Amino acid sequence: MAECSFGLIGKGYVILASDTTAGRSIVKMKEDEDKIKALGPNLIMATGGEPGDTIQFAEYVERNLRLYHIRHNHTLRPSSAAAWIRRTLADSLRSRNPYSVNLILGGYDHTTSTPNLYWIDYLGTMVDVPFAAHGYGAYFALSTLDRYHDPEAPLEEGLETLRKCVREVEKRLIVSLGKFKVKIIDRNGMREIDL
Amino acid sequence: MARRYDSRTTIFSPEGRLYQIEYAMEAISHAGTVLGVLATDGVVLAAEKKVTGKLLDLSVAKEGGYGGSGEKIFLLNTNVIAGVAGLTADANSLINYARSAAQRHLFSYNEDIPVEQLAQRLCDLKQGYTQFGGLRPFGVSLLYAGWDPHYQFQLYHSDPSGNYSGWKATCIGANNGTAQSLLKQEYKDTVSLEDAIGLVLRTMSKTMDSTSLSSEKLEFATLTVDPETKRPQAKIYRPAEVDALLAKHGLAKTEDTESNEMLSRDGRLVMR
Amino acid sequence: MSIMEYNGGSVLAMKGKNCVAIASDLRLGNQAMTVATNFEKVFPVTDCLYLGLAGLASDVITLRERFRFRVNMYTIKEERQIEPATFAQLVSSTLYEKRFGPYFVEPVIAGISKKTGEPFIAATDLIGCLNFAKDFVVCGTASDKLFGVAEGLWEPDLEPEDLFETISQTLMNAVDRDAFSGWGAIVHVITPEKVITRTLKARMD
Repeated sequence: MAECSFGLIGKGYVILASDTTAGRSIVKMKEDEDKIKALGPNLIMATGGEPGDTIQFAEYVERNLRLYHIRHNHTLRPSSAAAWIRRTLADSLRSRNPYSVNLILGGYDHTTSTPNLYWIDYLGTMVDVPFAAHGYGAYFALSTLDRYHDPEAPLEEGLETLRKCVREVEKRLIVSLGKFKVKIIDRNGMREIDL
Repeated sequence: MARRYDSRTTIFSPEGRLYQIEYAMEAISHAGTVLGVLATDGVVLAAEKKVTGKLLDLSVAKEGGYGGSGEKIFLLNTNVIAGVAGLTADANSLINYARSAAQRHLFSYNEDIPVEQLAQRLCDLKQGYTQFGGLRPFGVSLLYAGWDPHYQFQLYHSDPSGNYSGWKATCIGANNGTAQSLLKQEYKDTVSLEDAIGLVLRTMSKTMDSTSLSSEKLEFATLTVDPETKRPQAKIYRPAEVDALLAKHGLAKTEDTESNEMLSRDGRLVMR
Repeated sequence: MSIMEYNGGSVLAMKGKNCVAIASDLRLGNQAMTVATNFEKVFPVTDCLYLGLAGLASDVITLRERFRFRVNMYTIKEERQIEPATFAQLVSSTLYEKRFGPYFVEPVIAGISKKTGEPFIAATDLIGCLNFAKDFVVCGTASDKLFGVAEGLWEPDLEPEDLFETISQTLMNAVDRDAFSGWGAIVHVITPEKVITRTLKARMD
């Protein structure tokens, strides 16, 4: 599947971007699919991979984190949520039918006042990174991000870096991924913007 | 009349009471006093030891381990210490359960267990014995002193029924009523750790039966946050340190401390 | 391509005179694509015992967490720190538990005994076969190169600073010939008094 999602950290914020196409084999079925799920007031997750698994897994995670919130009166911090999601995938990998889901997790930790970004794949590999990409787009975007990313950049500069990534993918990737959906998370919570 | 409803823990009496639970709580009110005070920059725990005597082998408490004699104050996790009152054997089982629960949380979430959650875990277990089985409830009350990034310093109390509550200063065990009224008079919201230590020692010396305090009768611990690493730091005082502290507050005698294998080079307890 | 090489990465440990050193590269890859350059593969177990894990990154994290669980329970119950030789047995049995569906990692253990002050290094394969060495142990995608360079550079009874130089040069030069390891390194030299930790810039490509 030609799918692609990006994430990057800036000064006090995380941006997640994901393509919006849903397709099967060579057919484009939908071009306004939202692949970035809000997992809580300060946590969002971009998913990619096996179409059924992505939605099922994203909802499973969302409900579990919501349950935690209700039970304990506070949300999990992004680092703890990431660790739990990773463990779920790592356990799933060695189960009878594992989830094939790749994730980018972005969040804002109010206890430390820092933005967090995690790259997680279906094997249960997790690493906290200043920028991340999944899918074919990663092959183009990572080098662009290597060159232009600045973890201390203000929002407008971060968005400009993201635009560069999207342009690069539009220019060099053989298939068109259509429009990108962009969501930002910072101390004020989550919001969606047009790139 | 009560006898008909005594034998089973999980049967209500006609007045709607669970006698075994009440008896368990009664047993605790005869146990060694445990006292906790929440300060702005830490939490203090102190406990009265009941098993004493010069033939008791305390070499482990003096040299090895993380401090304490293993009777009243225990380390549950890097961020939580607990003082127990009641049946020591029951307490040991609960302590072990708590330590496993804390490690399971660390394993799942890669963070130290929030203090309230740890208290909840134990209360879930304790509550079970008021409802299921024909088994005896745990005859233990605990004070939990801890720190987590959500609510910073915290002090909780849990009893055999599985109830728990948060406190600024509280006391369990023998003479807890006297101690609590003393604490109520003296406690201020702005109390610092240093003042809280003084308050705890003074209250202990007034409530304990024995005339002079010493490490033989007293266990003592603090929970603070390391100013450099910003990580919680539990300190369970060794007998010699307790005596030194008592001397400092004009309450007793001194001895030297020794290093041990569990502490790291900077004197902190090492758990990752 | 083997699953052991999927994420790349290498770990190396060496014995010195009353000291040991353990080092890893920092790359995390998806086959040929580098995903992160801050992925440490060496973890503290006690303040004079370290564990390095090279192989499938998911299992590196899982095992690190499992060992942390076991060692914390050991520490809190025993009221003392675990000895390197004891920990090596724990590593071995934990891996052998999964003999027919293994974790895809090769651990390296380096530490100093608190009791005797004796330096200790060991490595196991992915199912926990222990290899106690008196000179050095290697694992990861650059292990063949590491063997060669270490064989040439290592000598007995190195002092901490010389051991640091030897292990750093060995790792950096071996890793330069491996496409799946690199992007800098982290080195820990463990002495009875303290642990010296340094991050190295290498060829960052």
